[in-house]
Amino acid sequence: MSTPTGFDELIHPSTRLSVVALLAATEWADFPFIRDSLSLSDSALSKQLHTLEEARYLEIQKEGGGRKRRTKVRLTDRGRTAFEGHVAALRAIVEGAAKGPSSGGGAPPSQAATPRAHTVGRGPASTRPTRTEARR
Amino acid sequence: MRVGAPMMDAEQAWADLQRIRVPQERVYDELERCTVTGRRGYLPIAAVMWLYLAVSGLDLPKWSLWATLAAYVGVLAAMGVRSSRKSRVRLHRSRYTWRVYAVFVVAAALGGASIGLSSWLVAWAEVPYGSLVQATICAGLFLLVTAPANRWAFAPMRHYGGRG
Repeated sequence: MSTPTGFDELIHPSTRLSVVALLAATEWADFPFIRDSLSLSDSALSKQLHTLEEARYLEIQKEGGGRKRRTKVRLTDRGRTAFEGHVAALRAIVEGAAKGPSSGGGAPPSQAATPRAHTVGRGPASTRPTRTEARR
Repeated sequence: MRVGAPMMDAEQAWADLQRIRVPQERVYDELERCTVTGRRGYLPIAAVMWLYLAVSGLDLPKWSLWATLAAYVGVLAAMGVRSSRKSRVRLHRSRYTWRVYAVFVVAAALGGASIGLSSWLVAWAEVPYGSLVQATICAGLFLLVTAPANRWAFAPMRHYGGRG
């Protein structure tokens, strides 16, 4: 199976995908919010953020000092474009499998052809990032 | 950036699409928690509004009315800055729906109309302590309307975001 254009291997790992997905819905988010939302440790999140920052997919701003020090994370236009391309590629894979015969990649799940809004947040447990995945 | 061309089946792609939705749900949860819950969050704004309307209805010299207006705007701005500093996340502008903008416009129109109408009613009925009555009506209306209006404005965002 060929991979559609836009598939981005940098944001493909589950933890990074979750981080970028969260940031895509925001202008900015602060570090503790991302950490708590994704159930990650400080170090695991830092590692992923620095990887994405090196690729210029996001910007990290540190504000204030002392106890009021705050870290804000913002997705750049480049990161947003990459995320949108990646989502489009994922959708193309699902739709391609739903339309035509599978070319060795396995059949899509039965619901793949009709994704519904009310399934939001009720996916299988595997849709949540786990501690193990966080180390990727 | 396309680094490689990994093999990926539809099952995994579907799981990834679901995975994307989970953190975005957390953003909408946080947004609801901060902006839409209850009326307690709007009490300070209503209190400042009540104070401003009550003072502006008094028979004061013109300069003090301008000073009151400046203080009112200043306090509202300070509350806005404080709220912004406390917030942990800000929703991306692309996620706002027409309802949010509609609520802004309707709230401004309703606020102005309630002040004008209550002022006219108080003058017509010749109520003693008219400015206090007017301030109470306007602040009460603000408290009654703001929470449901915000809930209505933010309700469809979750589904809107789910499409994007």
